[in-house]
Amino acid sequence: MKKLKPAAYALLPLAVAMAQPAVAQDTKELKIGVASEATSIDPHFHNVGQNNALRRHIFESLITTDANQKLLPALAESWKAIDDTTWEIKLRPNVKFSNGEPFTARDYIYTMCRVPLVENSPSSFTVFTRGIESIEAPDPLTVRVKTTSPQPLFPNNMTTLGILSASVFGAGDVKYGKDGCENMGTPPKSADFNDPAKAIGTGPYKLKEYTRGTHIILEANEDYWGEKPIWQRVVMRPITSAGPRVAALLAGDVDMIENPPIQDFDKIKGAGFTIVEGLSNRIIYIHLDQFEDKTPGVKGTDKNPFKDKRVREALSKAINRDAIVERIMGGVAKPAGELLPYPLFGTSKDAKPVAYDPEGAKKLLAEAGYPNGFELTLGTPNDRYINDEKVAQAVAQMFTRVGVKTNVDAMTASTFFTRRNKHEFSAYLAGWGADSGEMSNSLNALVVTPNKETGGGHTNRGRYSNKEVDALVQEAQRTIDDAKREELLQKASKIAMEDHALLPLHFEVTPWAFKKTLTYTPRIDQYTLATEVKLAQ
Amino acid sequence: MSEQAATPAPTAAARPAEKAESLLLRHVAAFFESPLAVVGLAGLVLLVAAALAAPLIAPQDPYDLAQLDIMDGTLPPGAESLAGYTYWLGTDEQGRDMLSAILYGLRISLGVGAVSVVIACAVGASIGVLAAYAGGRIDSLVMRVVDLQLSFPAILVALVLLAVFGRGVDKVIIALVIVQWAYYARTVRGSALVERRRDYIEAARCLALPKSRIVFRHLLPNCLPPLIVVATVQVAHAIALESTLSFLGVGVPVTEPSLGMLIANGYDYLLSGKYWISTFPGIALVAAIVAINLVGDRLRDVLNPRLSR
Repeated sequence: MKKLKPAAYALLPLAVAMAQPAVAQDTKELKIGVASEATSIDPHFHNVGQNNALRRHIFESLITTDANQKLLPALAESWKAIDDTTWEIKLRPNVKFSNGEPFTARDYIYTMCRVPLVENSPSSFTVFTRGIESIEAPDPLTVRVKTTSPQPLFPNNMTTLGILSASVFGAGDVKYGKDGCENMGTPPKSADFNDPAKAIGTGPYKLKEYTRGTHIILEANEDYWGEKPIWQRVVMRPITSAGPRVAALLAGDVDMIENPPIQDFDKIKGAGFTIVEGLSNRIIYIHLDQFEDKTPGVKGTDKNPFKDKRVREALSKAINRDAIVERIMGGVAKPAGELLPYPLFGTSKDAKPVAYDPEGAKKLLAEAGYPNGFELTLGTPNDRYINDEKVAQAVAQMFTRVGVKTNVDAMTASTFFTRRNKHEFSAYLAGWGADSGEMSNSLNALVVTPNKETGGGHTNRGRYSNKEVDALVQEAQRTIDDAKREELLQKASKIAMEDHALLPLHFEVTPWAFKKTLTYTPRIDQYTLATEVKLAQ
Repeated sequence: MSEQAATPAPTAAARPAEKAESLLLRHVAAFFESPLAVVGLAGLVLLVAAALAAPLIAPQDPYDLAQLDIMDGTLPPGAESLAGYTYWLGTDEQGRDMLSAILYGLRISLGVGAVSVVIACAVGASIGVLAAYAGGRIDSLVMRVVDLQLSFPAILVALVLLAVFGRGVDKVIIALVIVQWAYYARTVRGSALVERRRDYIEAARCLALPKSRIVFRHLLPNCLPPLIVVATVQVAHAIALESTLSFLGVGVPVTEPSLGMLIANGYDYLLSGKYWISTFPGIALVAAIVAINLVGDRLRDVLNPRLSR
């Protein structure tokens, strides 16, 4: 090298530049086979996993979450509660939308105003904006949000709402009003966002092309304020059947797929691909009817056996969770002793799964007055959760062995949920993913006494009811102080679990499969984010 | 085959007064002239016998959940169980012995096929023969309903019906009867229209016999040969249809798998090389359908007067 002539030095940058394409080529395009297609590009249309994952590429939120659902600043630099009902948020300066407009408080207010205007939303985002009483902007990079009641989860709520550019749809100086805003221009319809010229956010990627059922193509946003995206172009292809999705990966049509089926892991690994697995926030559980005096799916007794805590405990003890995880889930799941996996907010380190004890179960059943057991029909969907019907059969096996002769009634998800919501099952297997990644969400959905007005217990179809748990959850939902709130939730969860309000089975584990040259950090929220797909070292 | 079968025909024509028993014997003899049909019949008898004797010969009762253990799941053929006996055809993911599951599955598949065909045949043939005898508007009405029914694919109709009814062996049978009766109605009506103009019907009418007696004692028995052929082939169809429905997850309950459901269970494991869960029930299903079809084909040859002349 010492002898290198100046001319050669002059050539060096060129050599580097020529070497660059070899590396650059690798990061030119990333093709992902996704298991379910986003139902709209509109960030506020449908609150569902695949939409929220896509939204993060294009429309950023004020606050975002990392792979473990810890809050991170995004468009907000910092946030704090000034008092019980006021949050002050400092917005990030020098951020530009992909059309060149600067991001200010106006865009935030516009977004909060637009969320309730979405039409025909299958699962609305208004739950996150409903509690906002007023929004003020003392300066363009500060907002003060007053809420109608104490809302400790306000920062969590802000992670779900992608910020729109106010000027794209002709808004003026937007004023927030709880019952309608001023100077909104023409608020967009959901379909308007299918046009890349209208889908303007601050995110690391821009929408390039959207053909429903075929692909979504994203292009790197060169002016992105944060870490520059690795991939120049990202193609998301919906391949909803598992078999063809695996085949597409093996054939090299895509670089990465979501949710490869557990049964195919050996095959995929054998073909030289990498599989990563991450714990999800989805629990698979069995809920038992604890409301009716005579429950429809139980035979051989006049009473509803599930009102007796001993029976619930017996059934929980009858389940060999380790065996289900190992044999049915192929090791790709984790036995559950609580509604969320540790260390998510509100979980306890010492919440262990109920131990497998068939003899103890028989004893408890006899004590409860069912020495000869009874007959039970267990309802389950057969196409909603990983191996749902197979897990239900395994549980039926285990119940039968302790004397509760169990039949499995398996059906497609839409039929299952309709029938479940009409309380047609005495026992059913289902799953719950806590979007917010903290315990109040799970408790409120699954064990709080059903109440139409407050929306509490909306998925508690076994109608478990415990005043102590209700009170604790309610108090937690009003408590701004994190440490105090966590303690309340831990307590509520412990009481519900000791009461066997429902029988937790396991936490699903989400797998991803991709080429050896890539890496991906598994996410608890199960999102597939192109920004997190890195080159393997 | 047809040349050989042709020999007894002139004798029959020469002696029309020959008794029914010898006619039957003649058909049986003709049937056994085809070695393929004999193989089919032997296979069918074997399968039916195995299915009937399943509770006696199966090492495990696959429908008794207390006998299954998921720790025995997806074992390859020839593996030992925790309890010490051998799974000759391996196990599925629930720890079901495949051999026992196939024997019990055959029971369901053959049973559903046979029962649904018998009921569909009885219903369809009665409607068909009545339509032919009544003629006129009733005939047109019935036949238009048949046309309408046959214009929908059977699998589609059955799927819709089961989506409404739910799961269960009885429900599968009802669905199969509903999709199949039209074939019999049409077949029987065809031959009844011909028979209706024959002299013996005229004679029966002259004797002022009650209509129901004419239809069911005189007309219907003479329409039987084509019906028998259709019924045999339809058993195979019914079995295939039931398997398809179970494969799609709408047929029998998951804890009482038929052959189609066993195949569906194993389908998930095919890519990972656990071939036995799908393959063996598949072989059993194919064997049953082929055997029935071989028998049905030969029956058609034997019973069809046009082919034997």
